[in-house]
Amino acid sequence: MSYLGEIWGSRELLQNLTNREVRGKYRRTALGQLWSLANPIAAIVIYTFIFSFIFRLPAQVGDPSGLNNYALWLVCGLLPWLFFNRVLALGTDSLVSNAGLIQKVYFPRIVLPLSLTNATFFTWALEMGVLVLALSLLGAFVLPWIPLVVVFMVVFAVFSVGLGMIFSIINVYFRDLAYLLTIVLQFWFYLTPILYPIELVVTQSEQLGLLLGTPLTLLDVYSLNPVQGFIEIFRNLLYDNRMPELATVVVALGWAIVAFVAGAWMYAKKEKQLAELL
Amino acid sequence: MTDWAVQVMDVSKKFRLYHERNQSLKSAILRGKTSRHEDFWALQNVSFDVIEGKTHGLIGSNGSGKSTLLKCLAKIYWPTSGEIQYRGRMASLLEVGSGFHLELSGRENIYLNGSILGMSKKEIDGKFDEIVDFSGVEKFLDQPVKNYSSGMYVRLGFSIAINVNPDILVVDEVLSVGDEEFQRKSFDKFRDLKKAGKTIILVTHAMAVVKDLCDTATWLNKGSVVEVGGAARVVDAYLDSVEN
Repeated sequence: MSYLGEIWGSRELLQNLTNREVRGKYRRTALGQLWSLANPIAAIVIYTFIFSFIFRLPAQVGDPSGLNNYALWLVCGLLPWLFFNRVLALGTDSLVSNAGLIQKVYFPRIVLPLSLTNATFFTWALEMGVLVLALSLLGAFVLPWIPLVVVFMVVFAVFSVGLGMIFSIINVYFRDLAYLLTIVLQFWFYLTPILYPIELVVTQSEQLGLLLGTPLTLLDVYSLNPVQGFIEIFRNLLYDNRMPELATVVVALGWAIVAFVAGAWMYAKKEKQLAELL
Repeated sequence: MTDWAVQVMDVSKKFRLYHERNQSLKSAILRGKTSRHEDFWALQNVSFDVIEGKTHGLIGSNGSGKSTLLKCLAKIYWPTSGEIQYRGRMASLLEVGSGFHLELSGRENIYLNGSILGMSKKEIDGKFDEIVDFSGVEKFLDQPVKNYSSGMYVRLGFSIAINVNPDILVVDEVLSVGDEEFQRKSFDKFRDLKKAGKTIILVTHAMAVVKDLCDTATWLNKGSVVEVGGAARVVDAYLDSVEN
């Protein structure tokens, strides 16, 4: 409890560190914050060309929105993933890269991953703003869903930072993690139905049946991935314009709580030793 | 009985000296879980009180445990056993300008660094002019600090830290920053803090400074206390032992 009080007490520090990340990042660039949109746009162009034009994925029609546009369908899942990817990569490194500060000044260390997530969240919110604009222009009635989208963005951020916190502590002990993570994140990206619809996995799973004599199907294995549920929720809200399924929402909330509590617990336990471990 | 501001009670600090540390996955797998290490006691059963409003010096040769003790006092390290108690708000000044963001301006860094050191925005607003005045960098306040000369950089860092206005100030050898004039200003500032009733704990190798500024002192050797008492007496005892 006193630990939570201490975090609350350092909220101004959290805000200042967030500003440091946001303002410091694009200093002395002509386009400034616009650069944060460059990466997603490049990814969208490439993936749309490959998967929609060359591979001819089946059309994704939004129900009930009636949208039929692979690029938009892709972005609704891709933007949350890119946020997750950045939070995890930066978060894992957040303690090691701030070793100098940790060894010289006392402050609650948890503000390091938190401030970085806030700054990344800010960028993500800009991207989502542009997406909402594009969706509206192309005929989706997305405005009433915005409050829910914001709520789930926060839930997803809580999940991401929880995982980032856990990884940042492990990374202090095993510096390999930061390198291993880039590979893991690649697998994770392609094994999450972001570029392709989950229906293709369902079909494949039915053909395969039970895997190697276990009572599990391919779909069961897929559903263990916590990010998948979040992607589904964002697509339901933004692309389809309908409520996500209750079960998906409950599981997503559960993951967020578990990840964050585990991360905060690790900080409460290990924080005092960090200065000597680094 | 006089009132203490900081009480160090039987503090010991153990470090592990690793011979083969499993800091990568490969070594962990190849060697199994065990890593070989040896215990090293940087501090052993250190106890002393610092009286409220007094300035206390920590002296001793290199490797005597001064810096470890200072880091324990600053809450950066946590004692393996024993306890340190404070009456009032503690701030530490172990390195100036840690946490500066090079691309940000001096103005932005005052707010950033101030909040890292535990000041609220209101406090910084109130102290802003004083900080700028003291550092003497007002002409360059809106320049990114990466363009600052090293002197300007440390002066700004020192000015922020000295204005945190704690009840207890823990200071490492930072009095040697800046030019002659700035050092004199810093000394005056310390005297002002003393007059204002602040408790100061400082580590330095400059024995003249200890005699000049400190009321009491602790002499450490190989992690243990050799002598605690009046600054002049402890310094003389220490200097005697060094000469012999």
